Amino acid sequence: MLKTPILLILCVSVFLVPAAEARVYLDIDSPAFVQIPIVLPKWKSLEKTPPALGAKIYEIVSNDLSLSGFFKVIDDQNLPPPLHEREGIPRTLFLQEWGPSGGELLLAGEVQLDPGGAYLKLRFHLFDLVEQKHLAGKQYEGALQALRGMVHRMSDEVVYQITGERGVHTTRLAYAVAQDEGKELFIADFDGANAKQITRNRSINLSPAWSPDNKKIAFTSYLRRNPDLYLVDRDGENFRLFSSHAGLNAAPSWSPDGKSIALMMGMEGKSDIYLLDADGNGPRRLTRGHGNEASPTWSPDGKRIAFVSDRSGTPQIYIMSASGSDVRRLTYDGNYNTNPSWSPKGKRIAFCGRAGGRFEIFTIDLDGSGLQRLTSGSGDNESPCWSPDGRYIAFSSNRAGVSKIFTMNANGFNQRPLTRSKGSESSPSWSRRFE
Amino acid sequence: MLRKSLCILVLMLCLGLIVAGCPKKTVMKDEPSVTKEEAARIEAQKALERAEAEKAAKEAREKDSAGLKEEEARKALQKEFEKSLTARKQPGIEGEIFESAMLKDVYFDYDRYEIRPQDAEILKDNADLLKRFPKVKVQIEGHCDERGTIEYNLALGERRAGSARDYLLSLGISPDRVSIISYGEERQVDPGHDEEAWSKNRRAHTIIVSK
Repeated sequence: MLKTPILLILCVSVFLVPAAEARVYLDIDSPAFVQIPIVLPKWKSLEKTPPALGAKIYEIVSNDLSLSGFFKVIDDQNLPPPLHEREGIPRTLFLQEWGPSGGELLLAGEVQLDPGGAYLKLRFHLFDLVEQKHLAGKQYEGALQALRGMVHRMSDEVVYQITGERGVHTTRLAYAVAQDEGKELFIADFDGANAKQITRNRSINLSPAWSPDNKKIAFTSYLRRNPDLYLVDRDGENFRLFSSHAGLNAAPSWSPDGKSIALMMGMEGKSDIYLLDADGNGPRRLTRGHGNEASPTWSPDGKRIAFVSDRSGTPQIYIMSASGSDVRRLTYDGNYNTNPSWSPKGKRIAFCGRAGGRFEIFTIDLDGSGLQRLTSGSGDNESPCWSPDGRYIAFSSNRAGVSKIFTMNANGFNQRPLTRSKGSESSPSWSRRFE
Repeated sequence: MLRKSLCILVLMLCLGLIVAGCPKKTVMKDEPSVTKEEAARIEAQKALERAEAEKAAKEAREKDSAGLKEEEARKALQKEFEKSLTARKQPGIEGEIFESAMLKDVYFDYDRYEIRPQDAEILKDNADLLKRFPKVKVQIEGHCDERGTIEYNLALGERRAGSARDYLLSLGISPDRVSIISYGEERQVDPGHDEEAWSKNRRAHTIIVSK
């Protein structure tokens, strides 16, 4: 569990749920799955709490549940009377009156803002309407400023109850945005809120990569008229040079233990994959031969690296050990396969492949079987990056004109843009959970 | 008295003849008069020597003039080169650099980084210019069109810049005068989305980092 010193959150389990009995409602690995209809009555603002606070919570959690891809949200506006006016938590005894809602689950809750207006208590309960039983309930306490984080934790808990694994609603994405003649780096929440600029050097800043401890971003910048590797803290502070060998210092990828960075370096006159220690030692060359090597990505156990090589004539995905040995080719379909990203679950690799003249996102098993195409016919789709739970993929797509960051479920379902901003976005990197 | 004056006059005439005589000529002290044939020979000799002198003088003038022309040409080229320099300072990228239309871009086929014959000619011209101005140091930028993925294009741009550099080195330019940088697809000169635009963007562009 990562500590977040700013937030004072005390999770208090008000009603105990035997976790071993958590029914898994969804097979989330199947190519297509049915969304569970979940009723969301209005959130109740208790006592003197402004109704706007309840409404805000409602907006965030409703969006989270929809964003997760697992639920079809039936909100209060789509409920028949008299249900549409209900607020807060129903009593288990009367769950059958929710029959006409069409829902299989019900999530309801309340919020209480303390008299000082700076702290709040957030409480929810989850019910199974089919079996007419209570599934889970929790209370969160913390500062008003930490509201979004609390609601995201709540959404994660709902996802856990239904799928057996916590959601990723507390995670954030880093990405590059085109500005004037260069690109600057931004970080936004998974639901697109709180977009913050973290580089302000007016240069070309590329390929952000979250460190596994969520504290910093590694990236490439042309500030010194060379593509050098830099680090910056996630709040934009402490911008520092990390590697500035002549030629490329590009496409950084952190090892899962945070101790090494794999990257592209051009010291031998062409691009190869090198390893740098996080404390600055190295670099150690991993790839040999005449090809151009690019885009390293680590396996979750830290033992292997997938990368791009055109040693066969065209760019394809390869896998090697973390010491550079045992190289084998992974992709054989098509003549342009790049941008590999190794699923944190370990079993599949996402990549960008050119098909029919456009770039599409694919996933493939480690043995090269099970090729699955996730995008089609909608612009160019590049730079796939997995969520830390391996159930979502972020990527860039110019299907609507300008390039935007999109997220989708790992089976290609529920593709939607991350932000509503106008800028041209690229190269997403997904953080771990902020818990 | 008269005889003495006459002798002095003759003496003075002889002296005058000697003094007035051509320095190249052998002074004939004891034969104040020459035969007709000898006079003709002497004349021919004189004419020949005059002609040779004139020829030598002409050649010297031509050589001087050619040297002057070359000097003028060099100065003119220097002037043209200096005039062609545009200073550039890009926000977000360190250093003031210069660009010159006299250092021309070379272009590449899609997904390739070899120097094509027509581009080799351009690089030869660039090398000639660099030889004329031995203090100039350049950086070759490798660029890609917008297609393809960002990171692989960084590798391709690196190769393109490297190919152009290798060719210059093979023409005798010293390695410490040429550095390279890849911009991948980050610096498009033509924002279009067709082959005409793409072919303009697949380039190696040379900038001057010190002169």
